[in-house]
Amino acid sequence: MRTVGAVPTISTPSTPAIDIRDLVKTFGPTRALDGLTLSVQTGQVHGFLGPNGAGKSTTIRVLLGLLRADSGSVSLLGGDPWSQAPELHRRLAYVPGDVNLWPNLTGGEAIDLLGRARGGLDPRRRDELIEAFDLDPRKKGRAYSKGNRQKVALVAALAADVELLLLDEPTSGLDPLMERVFTDIIRADRDNGRTVLLSSHILSEVEALCDHVSIVKDGRIVESGTLDDLRHLRRTQVVAELADAVPADLAQLPGVHDLTIDEHSGEHGATHRLTCQVDATGLDPLLGRLSTLGLRSLVSTPPTLEELFLQHYQRAEARDDQLVRVAVGPDPS
Amino acid sequence: MTSASTQVGSIRGRGRVGGREGGRARGRHERPATGGSTVSGVGLLVRLELRRSRWFWLVWIACLWLILPATVSKYEVLMPDPVSARATAASLEHNVTMRAMLGPPFDLLRAGPFTMWRVGTFVAAAAAMMAALGLIRATRAEEEEGRTELLRSGAIGRHAPLAAGLLVSTLGTLVLGLLIAASMAKAAPPASGALAVGLGIALTGLVFVGVAAVAVQLTESARAARFIAMSVLGGAYLVRAVADGSPADSPLVALQWVSPLEWAALTRPYVDERWWVLLLPLALSLLLIGLAVALENRRDLGAGLRPAGLGPATAAPGLRGAWSLAARLDRGAVIGWTVAVVICGIAFGSLGNGMDQMLAANPQLADMMRKMGGGVQQLKDAFYVALVGIMATVLAMLALQLWSRLRHEEQTGGAEALLATGTSRLRLAASHLVPALVVPTVLLALTGALMALPAAMANGDPGFVATVTGGALALAPGIWLVVGIVVLVHGWAGRSRAVAWIGPAVVGWTTFVVWIGPLLDLPGWLQNLQLFGHLPHLPGAPMTWTAVVVQTLVAAALIVVGLVGYRRRDLTVP
Repeated sequence: MRTVGAVPTISTPSTPAIDIRDLVKTFGPTRALDGLTLSVQTGQVHGFLGPNGAGKSTTIRVLLGLLRADSGSVSLLGGDPWSQAPELHRRLAYVPGDVNLWPNLTGGEAIDLLGRARGGLDPRRRDELIEAFDLDPRKKGRAYSKGNRQKVALVAALAADVELLLLDEPTSGLDPLMERVFTDIIRADRDNGRTVLLSSHILSEVEALCDHVSIVKDGRIVESGTLDDLRHLRRTQVVAELADAVPADLAQLPGVHDLTIDEHSGEHGATHRLTCQVDATGLDPLLGRLSTLGLRSLVSTPPTLEELFLQHYQRAEARDDQLVRVAVGPDPS
Repeated sequence: MTSASTQVGSIRGRGRVGGREGGRARGRHERPATGGSTVSGVGLLVRLELRRSRWFWLVWIACLWLILPATVSKYEVLMPDPVSARATAASLEHNVTMRAMLGPPFDLLRAGPFTMWRVGTFVAAAAAMMAALGLIRATRAEEEEGRTELLRSGAIGRHAPLAAGLLVSTLGTLVLGLLIAASMAKAAPPASGALAVGLGIALTGLVFVGVAAVAVQLTESARAARFIAMSVLGGAYLVRAVADGSPADSPLVALQWVSPLEWAALTRPYVDERWWVLLLPLALSLLLIGLAVALENRRDLGAGLRPAGLGPATAAPGLRGAWSLAARLDRGAVIGWTVAVVICGIAFGSLGNGMDQMLAANPQLADMMRKMGGGVQQLKDAFYVALVGIMATVLAMLALQLWSRLRHEEQTGGAEALLATGTSRLRLAASHLVPALVVPTVLLALTGALMALPAAMANGDPGFVATVTGGALALAPGIWLVVGIVVLVHGWAGRSRAVAWIGPAVVGWTTFVVWIGPLLDLPGWLQNLQLFGHLPHLPGAPMTWTAVVVQTLVAAALIVVGLVGYRRRDLTVP
């Protein structure tokens, strides 16, 4: 595990909005959170990324004081989320991952109820959001589709004048158009200095909105840092077209992985198409060699979050496979 | 959703259900008709429901089955010799309280008809409750949870879920009726009388299968459907109580033919049976089931009969937190219960007033009443004690219903949403606890006042209202105690299944002991081991402050400990 989040950003305010250290939460035999450490600075839009069942919702529910931590320390807006829940909750808004509404209340009533229970909401902002999300607030809770229930929860949360937004997969069920509306609103909120913890498994959404990302797996943070930090750590994909034949030792360069070569013969003679993954440290030597081999075109793609994510999980799976193979393999003696 | 699908899967896995593949392989009837019958797949759903609800039916049937034969076995104890039997029977037959509570006596000198009179209507009413609840849990409850939608996306016909619920509930009541008939045939021959008892009870259950089948078409929530079905049951009980409690020459007596709960008794088991009476429940059941199917044809899946209308776009200024939300959510139930209490109070009150005149004419009744009322001095007092006691038990169920709203809110995410705002756990719990304590208490006092009012006005004795109201309030700690028990379990064992059944079990036990306990010679401590066992039953018995205070304190302690636990534990989330 590599934690990069500890690198302080410039002008960090005194206390982080969220500070979780070594959080453990078990449900019977299941260890939902296994020493999770997460820090979200004030003003960050922090992506909380992980597959289903990784512990995202559990972490947020501990932050809300709905679940009690078994061990570890949790600080929310400088307070204790378990003992000071109601006071702290007036300063934050929450959108649950699976929104259920009161079947007899209309969407508008639910929005107002939740807003007032939090200490009031701005009616103008509420109406703007209802308009932006194209929501009919007069329908009864049981009559809404999943996406519309999600919109009700989003309006209730975003209309509140709060410091912190805890959003648990907030766009699940929204159509692409509404996802766009949501992205625009969060961007504006970010510019206004609001802190956001955005849990998601939709990488493009996190990539579009978040300046910091933490990847959670099996109840632990496995990567954390700014998007740029993570990219620096990761391999860039390089695709080059070369006039000359590729010498075999190119694959042996430090930091070069998965090198493949295709040969095409065209009107300008043979073209050698090279594809490989390069670590940040290996980029310079590789490009130096390529320039001597009749470089015709070069495309280098920074890793998307999706690739970071997949790489991490594939690596972990590969390790697991090896472990299994070792475990069941024949006795070496 | 997952549980239904896994259950289907697990049944299939064990090869007990010939689903699509299995049916084809074995050439069985399970394959859905390609023609699109509206009940395609009913066999699969019946098996699913039997698997899913087996404990529900087993527990209900086991509890109700043995009440009748057990009463027969105690008949000799109650009526030791012919001379005293005749005197006892004569006084019982004329006892307005007993008639109103239990039904019309036809022959109390033999074990069979005595048993039918003493516990037959009670068991029939309980069977009706079982049948209605069973049908609702198989149909509307599943539909509300979205599981029916999941199933209907398979080769399952439009009416198949209703048909499966009807089949399972009918099967449940028939099994109960036949078990009762068989055991009664052995305990109290002849078999024809036993069969009349069993069929009468089963068919009463069937009527309420029909009532529930209609109710689930009308409403979108299982909760509301249960309320409708239980209101009909309560109304049927009330109508027959008024009919049986009225003087023989009153035109109100004819009302006994109106109440489905009376038909089993009117069959006159063991006393020259009138078999044709059983056609009444049979016809009414078929009528109601036909109506339910017709209604289901006119509605959409998940919807009630009325299309969902639009509501206000903004909340009223009053709706601003846990308290006002609880008030809003409970509003319908509280109004409904209040109406029911007012009707019952007035109906019982007019019966009680009529008793004054009857008393003068039948002085020998007093002797029996003293025995049945447990040391009650006056027949009239015994009447109020008995009926206030029934109402206290019924209102204990209201208390459970109001408190269980909190659990419902936790399971459906409402609690999570509120607790993520500035609402504390304690506030949320209190918003459901206070109604559960206060509403039934107020309604209990209202019952007492309304019941006493007619007699007080007729006799020019306003103090009597205070007396009976006070007597009713003396039973309130019983309601508070069951609330304390459920709050305790909710606070400390919120994830256990006990949360769901402990409250109904305690009220069920109380009902059982109050109605059947005296017949079974339960030891005194066991007889008193129920919600109202230690409380003074005014105005018949003297006031005992110790019991009232101690039980109130115990209830308060349970509540406090329960709330401490609730503040400490993980919230139950969907």
